[in-house]
Amino acid sequence: MIAPVEAYVTLSAILFFIGIVGVIARRNPLIQLMSIELLFNSANLALITFARSWGNNAGHIFAFLVITVAAAEAAIGLAIVVIVFRKTAFVDVDEVSTLKG
Amino acid sequence: MIGFVLLALALVASALFVVTASKPVYSVVGLLANFIALAITYLTLHAEFLAVIQIVVYSGAILILFVFVIALLSSGVKPFAAGPDRAPRILGPALVCAAVGAAVVVVAALLTPFAPEAIYGLTGQADVFGSVADFGNALFHHNLLPFEVTAFVLMVAIIGVVLLAGDDGPPPSRRPKRNREPIAKPGRERIAR
Amino acid sequence: MHPLLLLIWLGPLAGAVVLWAFGPQLRSLAGPIGSALVGVSFMAALSEWGSATLVDGSLEGVRQPLFAWLPQLAFGLQWDRISLVWTLIITGVGFLIHVYSIGYLAGDRAFARFFAYLNFFVFAMLTLVLSDNVVGLLVGWGLVGLASYLLIGYYIDRPSAVAASRKAFVINVVGDVGILYAVFVIVAKIGAIGYGDIFAKLTAFTPGELFIVCLALFVGAAAKSAQVPLHTWLPDAMEGPTPVSALIHAATMVTAGVYLIARFAPLWSASADARMLAGSIGALTAITGAILGCVQWDIKRILAYSTMSQIGYMIMAAGVGAYSAGILHFLTHACFKALLFLTAGIIIHNLGDEQDVRKMGGLRKQMPFAFAAMLVGVCAICGVPGFSGFFSKDDVLSATLAHGHPVMWFVGVVTAGLTAYYMGRMFLVTFFGAYRGNIDPSELGMRHPELAGTSQTAGRHPEEEEHAPAHAPAWLMSGPVAILMVPAVFIGWIAFGPNGGASAWTQFFAPVFPADVPVPGTPPDWVTSAIVLVLIVAGFGVAFLRYGNPRALLDAVPRLRIEAVRTPAILANAFYFDTAIDALFVKPAQAVGRWFGSVVDPRVIDAGVREASISANWLGHLFRSFETGLVRAYALTIAFGVACFAIYYVVIGVGR
Repeated sequence: MIAPVEAYVTLSAILFFIGIVGVIARRNPLIQLMSIELLFNSANLALITFARSWGNNAGHIFAFLVITVAAAEAAIGLAIVVIVFRKTAFVDVDEVSTLKG
Repeated sequence: MIGFVLLALALVASALFVVTASKPVYSVVGLLANFIALAITYLTLHAEFLAVIQIVVYSGAILILFVFVIALLSSGVKPFAAGPDRAPRILGPALVCAAVGAAVVVVAALLTPFAPEAIYGLTGQADVFGSVADFGNALFHHNLLPFEVTAFVLMVAIIGVVLLAGDDGPPPSRRPKRNREPIAKPGRERIAR
Repeated sequence: MHPLLLLIWLGPLAGAVVLWAFGPQLRSLAGPIGSALVGVSFMAALSEWGSATLVDGSLEGVRQPLFAWLPQLAFGLQWDRISLVWTLIITGVGFLIHVYSIGYLAGDRAFARFFAYLNFFVFAMLTLVLSDNVVGLLVGWGLVGLASYLLIGYYIDRPSAVAASRKAFVINVVGDVGILYAVFVIVAKIGAIGYGDIFAKLTAFTPGELFIVCLALFVGAAAKSAQVPLHTWLPDAMEGPTPVSALIHAATMVTAGVYLIARFAPLWSASADARMLAGSIGALTAITGAILGCVQWDIKRILAYSTMSQIGYMIMAAGVGAYSAGILHFLTHACFKALLFLTAGIIIHNLGDEQDVRKMGGLRKQMPFAFAAMLVGVCAICGVPGFSGFFSKDDVLSATLAHGHPVMWFVGVVTAGLTAYYMGRMFLVTFFGAYRGNIDPSELGMRHPELAGTSQTAGRHPEEEEHAPAHAPAWLMSGPVAILMVPAVFIGWIAFGPNGGASAWTQFFAPVFPADVPVPGTPPDWVTSAIVLVLIVAGFGVAFLRYGNPRALLDAVPRLRIEAVRTPAILANAFYFDTAIDALFVKPAQAVGRWFGSVVDPRVIDAGVREASISANWLGHLFRSFETGLVRAYALTIAFGVACFAIYYVVIGVGR
């Protein structure tokens, strides 16, 4: 580790909340999904940091599984986006508001 | 320390770029930069195997998936203009929440007394932390069940994707239809039916 | 075990229920059925005479227990001399009036309903007089008020009748408040509801409390017996059919107040203030009724005011402690007042529902039987010697004097003279002279048919007016009247005893009431009788001079008109009692009701309900505003939740 643990954790937190802002503030579902990937990655960073800090490679295993699940989730999310927005010209999440009220 | 600062800057800058780019393709490129920087960060944390997995799976598969979908959804129609042309109203509260959350975590992290790091060498042996052998040992000995379950999860994901966005059924047949009219017998008038 | 007592009491109830339930099917059978049940009760009461007069040690009469909820809450029937007298009158006169009604109301559309109500009334009155406990008394009291309401308002499609029945009921309720309060105090103090228990523990009351209890009881008696100032309902109650007026508002219900005082005699004897109060009110009512009777033109109203006046006599007597005199007057009054009312009913019926005496006249030749009956009744009520009223009225007056109330005695004597005057006036105007039925009403001073008193011009329902009035056998109506003439003359003789000595009547009541001890210095009874006789003659004389002498008979029309027009306003408005009550109570109550209807109802109650629905609506809208349908807004809420969790777990910590 080339920096103290606190630095890595701070970095992870910053990335996490940038991801959250991305999900909330963008109307393009694809960019929202990419922001969700950011969230996953920030969690992975924290996991691996602590794995290194405690000398326990369970964190590595966990991060590995996170990557796997993130892949599956990205696939399905993209499939849903494709279906929902197949026929529209602009891809805008705010248009899918039929549950309003 | 300098290395970490540089990496951190790269990570944050690319993340911000992903979130604020005007076109999705730009976001993909930014995300790629983010993943590569993250892989290097993993290397600094002695997690070599995961660094490679990060490059191969994340930037090699998932990002390509994104690129394909971007291409699919933009075909034949107007280029994407779905990004915010002005700041959405929701940005304010979102930033506030994010800032508060981040600040809290950061402060907590700074105040938490972490244990001093363990000292390890940097060789690729099985008993060395972060090596492939070490990782494989742990994965296939202690965590075999989660490994198999993730295989199952991936299979379900594939089936789901195929079901959701798969074919529209068999293509329309181009063979001419068989003429089913009976051959007219001589001597009999066929009155219009 | 006295099964006949139960028969007496419950027979009329069975009749009421059966006639209510099967009235439309029974139609004209309802009359004989109702009458028969009351007649059976009368026979049973007669046969039980012996057990009523039984004196068994300290227990007087017999008791039929009904059921005991608790030892202190034991209900039963009491059959002693007081209840015997009342029962005989209720069932006896009641039976005669039932038979009379068969003739009077023949062809009426709701014939069965009338008899159901009459039977119900008999049952209610019997409950009142037969109960051996104050709770049964209250039940009977209330039911009798209900029966009166139902019967006054019998002609349900006449607004004046409906208003009169409501007025009667409301004033009765005022009295109910008084008697309820008294009963509550008694039961709270004594802890038991039976008369025997109450009278045994009278010493538990202080004199002040006793007076309050007697005062409250008297309020109830005043309302039921139409004493001043709660008398205003009685003249209006004449809206009911004449048999109803005869039975309820002359013979029985209005005497419930007298019964109350007689039954609570031990309380009354213990409180001199209560006696003073009761006697004064009774005397005041007697003279008020007599004065107002002198200016009435409706024959039934004349009789109503005379009832009020005579009951004043009864209350006066019972109030001052001369209980047996009061009960005697009740006995004779029931007979001759019923006679007078039923005869008036015959007149009204035969004249096609004409009630104003100004439009009568000369009926002596047209209706000789009515003439004879009315003559007997008038002599009885005035106290002409030899008739029953003579004995009872003089008994009342001399007893009042003997108990040391000369002022009341004087008022009573003057009233006797007035009674002779107005009864003579009624008799002469009705039966002598020329028949005035065909004369234009305005010539007789009748300003407007309705204003000339209660007009039963729609006595029967409009569709029945085509029927000839005399399609029922005449004996149904004249028979009871003829029968009543007998006791009207002779029943008073049971009180004949030389100079207040031991007459059959005083002996009869000796075990119940303490013997009257005259105040020393009281003149002997014959003095009272002589003075009253003089006044009766004077009253008749004045009436004859004004209405009966040949010149008066010739000039009847203009004389009557002048008298009608010149009636002093204070008398024409019945001393403004109605106006005062209206202004003090009715109008404010109506104003409060209107205020509630126009202000409270729409603004408070309706608004409250509306507000409830509006706030439910608003709450719904509030929650709806969260459902924007926008994914990003939902994501924001999740982020917010995450921030909260971060703060909680990191700052506050979970078992750090």
